[in-house]
Amino acid sequence: MRVFLLALAMQFAGAAWAQSEAQQQQQRQAEQPGNNAPVWRDVKAGEKNFTTIKGRETEVLVQPPARFPGQNVTATAGEAWRKFRNGPVTFYGGLLVTVIAVVILGFYFWKGPVKLHDRPSGRLIRRFSTLEQVVHWSAAISFCVLGISGLIMLFGKYLLLPVIGYTLFAWLTALGKNLHNFIAPLFIVSVIAMIFMWLRDNLPKSYDWMWFGKAWAFFARGEHIPSGRFNAGEKAWFWGGVILLSVIVSWSGIILLFPNFDQTRAVMQDAWIWHASAALLYIAISFGHIYMGTIGVEGAYGNMRTGYTDETWAKEHHDLWYKEVKSASRAPAAGAVPAGAPHMKEKT
Amino acid sequence: MARMKFLCDAERCIECNGCVTACKQENEVPWGVNRRRVVTINDGIVGAEKSISVACMHCSDAPCMAVCPVDCFYKTEDGVVLHDKDLCIGCGYCFYACPFGAPQFPQAGAFGLRGKMDKCTFCAGGPEPDRSEAEFKKYGRNRLSEGKLPACAEMCSTKALLGGDGDVIADIYRDRVVRRGKGSEVWGWGTAYGPGKPGAQPPAQQPARGRS
Repeated sequence: MRVFLLALAMQFAGAAWAQSEAQQQQQRQAEQPGNNAPVWRDVKAGEKNFTTIKGRETEVLVQPPARFPGQNVTATAGEAWRKFRNGPVTFYGGLLVTVIAVVILGFYFWKGPVKLHDRPSGRLIRRFSTLEQVVHWSAAISFCVLGISGLIMLFGKYLLLPVIGYTLFAWLTALGKNLHNFIAPLFIVSVIAMIFMWLRDNLPKSYDWMWFGKAWAFFARGEHIPSGRFNAGEKAWFWGGVILLSVIVSWSGIILLFPNFDQTRAVMQDAWIWHASAALLYIAISFGHIYMGTIGVEGAYGNMRTGYTDETWAKEHHDLWYKEVKSASRAPAAGAVPAGAPHMKEKT
Repeated sequence: MARMKFLCDAERCIECNGCVTACKQENEVPWGVNRRRVVTINDGIVGAEKSISVACMHCSDAPCMAVCPVDCFYKTEDGVVLHDKDLCIGCGYCFYACPFGAPQFPQAGAFGLRGKMDKCTFCAGGPEPDRSEAEFKKYGRNRLSEGKLPACAEMCSTKALLGGDGDVIADIYRDRVVRRGKGSEVWGWGTAYGPGKPGAQPPAQQPARGRS
């Protein structure tokens, strides 16, 4: 009710404003014929006026002035957006992604991967159920497609276009844009599934704080840090990346994906800024996850690839989870302990 | 070398939409796309109503050109901003960036999927050979190559809309302002052609003589 009254009040205020603008112009016309200052003020503010051409924002003659973070002059919203996109987002986003990639690769060549201390036992434990594998790889593959096509749309003009030429680059980018649009829903669905699936195992525990303190020792010397099914780094990736950044990227992405909801340019400009900034951060952080899951930690890739892990690996990387599984206080991921038991069963 | 510009005289525009119709007719613009539109401020209020016809202004430092991910825009030697529909991917960024709302998108697919961008070409066609069928189909008439000016401005019944070399139309407008002693603002020129550049300044910045 209050909202309704407020809306009503604003309606009146808006009408009064429009009235006064018009009246001002009428008065000005009488006092100083040819002085159209009130009209130009109205136009400059990006007000909606009248046009017979029906369409979104066709009544607006010129976009209202706007200023994005870090800009000290106002310009029309479109120009301000252009400066923000081609400026800080492209520059710092590109810098972030490059620096993180270089740091990770540098680390790899300097320290090498984290290796197992003991020899593999040869006894395998089910670490991820088939469902978990399917959800993970759906999210992972769609993430890569979205990330690569997104990077091409932002940086390709500077990096790829000069190399492969206009025709091929436009074809590639059109393909990328269509993949981006049509793969996005798959990503959103798999992320939602992932959130529900792994929420419980990602709840923070008291021992997780230790992980952050000793993370360097782990990366550099392969020291053991107590961790449950997921370690604190994975949990941070889950809460910050899979949940927070996914929500930002998905929500802003939906706004950009469906221009038929009659959203205005201002909304789409803002959505683009959120989308690109969050996505670039997401990509940069994902390098860490991808590194750890492939070349960074010996044996990690096989876990998600096959769903099974070696007991030694489990003991060295997820000791608390290993103990839980061994003491049978929780079933392994698929519960497939006895041979011949049904393969796909959700953990209880 | 000419620098093509549009200028709309708010003191003369009578909102007849002749320019809109001329453009659609001349270029056979598809349904749902209007390269030009007339916006009326204070519509129906006597003494306060002003109309402006607006389309692509062919900016000096065009925001659309700057944000295009595939760099499909180019500028002719006459300063006309054109684009290559074969390269366009329909992302809509030029539409976000354009101050004037010039880029248009036929809603080609489901969920409002954008087709190839379409906008005013200053009746100068596109990258295809001048006056070819392919050029006409994608971009409309190439009047400039025939030595003619844009259809909208040529058809304007009150000569409110002027299209042509910036210096020439600025001279015509300056003359009008001096004669009638009012209406000195050249709408959109500061946004499109930038302040402070030689020859880009709105031509009648100095107070018009003879104002009462």
